[in-house]
Amino acid sequence: VEQALRERDRLLRECARVVGLTALGVSLLCLVMPGVLPGRLLVVVVLLVAVVGGCLVRVGVSTSPAWPVVGIVAGIGVVLIAAPVGAAVDEPLVTALVPLAGGALSAFGIVLVGSPRRLAVLAAAVVASTALIGIAAPRGFLSVQPVTVVLGWILAVVFAYWYGSGVPRVTASIVSIGRAHRAERHASETEAQRRQSARLLHDTVLATLTLLAHSGIGVSSDALRDQARDDASLLRQLRLGGSPVPTSTGSVVTQPPTSSEITLGHTLESVKQRFGRMGLDVSWHGTGQVLLPTEVLDAFLLALAECLENVRRHSGVSDAHVTITDDDDTVRAMVTDSGVGFAVDQVDAGRLGFRDSIVGRLDEVGGSARVFSSPGAGTTVVLEVPR
Amino acid sequence: VSLHARPEENTLGGIVGTGRRRGRDRPAPKAVVRATEQGATLGTAYLGIGGGVLCAIEAVYSLAKFFSNLHRYTDARPTIVAWVLFALAFAIVCVTLGRRGEKFPRPLFAAYLVVLAAVVALDFIGIAPLHDVGAFATASVTAGFGLLPMVTLRPPRDLLIAAAVLAAAFTVMTATTTDLDSASLPELVITIAIAVVPLVLAVYVLHRFRRMVQLELDRVLVQSTVTAPRFAVGMLASEELTRLDLAAEELLDSIAGGRTPLPLEPKTASKAASLATELRLHLIEGRRETWLYHAVTESEQLGKSTTLNDPGSLAGLLDPAQRDGLLSAMWLLVADGRRTPSTTTVALGPVLAPTTQSVRRTITIPIVIQTTGIPRARVDTAVWLAVQQVGEVTASMEDGSLRVAIHCVVTNPAGQ
Repeated sequence: VEQALRERDRLLRECARVVGLTALGVSLLCLVMPGVLPGRLLVVVVLLVAVVGGCLVRVGVSTSPAWPVVGIVAGIGVVLIAAPVGAAVDEPLVTALVPLAGGALSAFGIVLVGSPRRLAVLAAAVVASTALIGIAAPRGFLSVQPVTVVLGWILAVVFAYWYGSGVPRVTASIVSIGRAHRAERHASETEAQRRQSARLLHDTVLATLTLLAHSGIGVSSDALRDQARDDASLLRQLRLGGSPVPTSTGSVVTQPPTSSEITLGHTLESVKQRFGRMGLDVSWHGTGQVLLPTEVLDAFLLALAECLENVRRHSGVSDAHVTITDDDDTVRAMVTDSGVGFAVDQVDAGRLGFRDSIVGRLDEVGGSARVFSSPGAGTTVVLEVPR
Repeated sequence: VSLHARPEENTLGGIVGTGRRRGRDRPAPKAVVRATEQGATLGTAYLGIGGGVLCAIEAVYSLAKFFSNLHRYTDARPTIVAWVLFALAFAIVCVTLGRRGEKFPRPLFAAYLVVLAAVVALDFIGIAPLHDVGAFATASVTAGFGLLPMVTLRPPRDLLIAAAVLAAAFTVMTATTTDLDSASLPELVITIAIAVVPLVLAVYVLHRFRRMVQLELDRVLVQSTVTAPRFAVGMLASEELTRLDLAAEELLDSIAGGRTPLPLEPKTASKAASLATELRLHLIEGRRETWLYHAVTESEQLGKSTTLNDPGSLAGLLDPAQRDGLLSAMWLLVADGRRTPSTTTVALGPVLAPTTQSVRRTITIPIVIQTTGIPRARVDTAVWLAVQQVGEVTASMEDGSLRVAIHCVVTNPAGQ
């Protein structure tokens, strides 16, 4: 906002300079025309005009009130010398002084609209310049020359006042737009975090999209369509502001986002159902009634789903067993298949896929994962998370 | 055969990391675009009214001049008609603007120009027998002022062309009717200047005003990042995530509803693959950026001239007052450079090792603002005030441009 006011004052100063120098140039052009000004006065007048010009140049870059004051005094001096009070003055000479009095001097007026002291200087300058031109004009104050000088002052002052008051008005609007934007940013951040924290949902959506990326080959169309319907419904819930969690019935239960602990059982069923559709039969053993904090449950289920996905893709069998056990401080899942197996020491256990999607997720919540396998003897993965 | 393979979408057509950089080279969040559009007309209505007021003042002056010279016209009727025509047109324009606000359609503008041209022509016909354009032109001069309220509504080019045409008309009129001598020339120059200069000046003033508004707007929009958490998703990524979720929902919906047949065509399959890739990237990478990164990427002004080098994401540790200072300083340095192109590079870190045991609760982040094209003399005092808000400042010159090093002390995140 301060920046805007500074820019406003800078613009007004630049306008004063451009308008003033233009008018001064016009005035000088008229004054030096042959026959307008007596030759003996020319040097003094040109020198004083140069002083006014110098002050206008300084006004363009400086905020000091000295420059307008000196400029106005010099300008009044030009008028006094060229058209002394009481002397008979030719009309072309009076007219030539009009751009100086009503343009160059009123340009100083642009930077004088402000404090009371500046306004006092302004008023004095208006009165002096108008009076001197009016006295010198052939038909007095009703001549075109003094009226034009007054017009110049009025236009300059109205412009400076109007623009000067327009800027604070607009900065007030800008500040309120800024406030609204801050609220919007906050809302957008909350929304993004809500969506990102719906990890379980995104995990099933990503799994479905992955299947679709393979054109859905290997899975029955009906199963894929059912899965797509469930996932679309979950995404719709998310869009409408809920925090949906996949459930066993295939319908969607919206969880309030604040609930900190969720039972393992019904979410396990949804994982089972999902893999069932994709052709992997998952059998559950053990307890289903374990309460876990949301983020632990999320990580646990994601890692579990990742293990089952590996079974589905690589084991060569169509069923897997998951045994859930728990004691006082640990919940443990054992994922077993009787598939092709592999030599654990020949496959880098730190492979990105395993580390990112299983070890990484469990690590975040203080859990761990271990793999047991040998070629031809199936695979067992043990996942552990703290309660 | 690998046991734990990463999902394979990445190899199917979704190209990692490029999906988010689409469209124009620097996409802006929708909220920013909307606010910027709002800013294009912000405050101009008030300035337009000011233009109308200036026009009315000038009209009173010109009318007075006309009436005082009335006895010298051989036939004042064309000029009287010109005045009536101008008054009507100006009144209609004022009423239209009052009722329809910032909308002034092109045909109406064209009609207004035609009327103003007729006003000038009629006035010229009226004063032609008097052989002194400078002394007698009235309605034609006011016609130039009549365009002032249009300055806020029409592109600058239209108005500058109109001003040029008006100046040309005066020149031709003068050449054909007026003998130039020391008696007539001063008044002629004054008259033409009154007719043309205010319009040109108004176009320039409005241009500067709009630029000022856009700059300020950009500034307040970016200012909102100062209160953001240490790591934020950012408005762009947030919108992107929403868009991806919606796209996924639509795709799944169309499959569930049978509108998209299974198995998928290769094109749809690759769409699903890239959706999955982008979604995964957004879910994994979403939280890693600091407020400063978002400020630089979202701001028109900072985005084009500022490079941020913050590998440790240390900007997130700054408290709101320090952030405000840093942002202000970066802002003032580049926004102030109006003529010469200037750039800044802001580097944060690495964190300095604590010197004594007792200050374990804080850590010191060195921040270096390296500029190009910013001589020390041009640096605003506000910049110094702003950087002092961040920490202890050492300024030096490198290749004729400013280099500011700041020792920024922040709370140790490990101690919290």
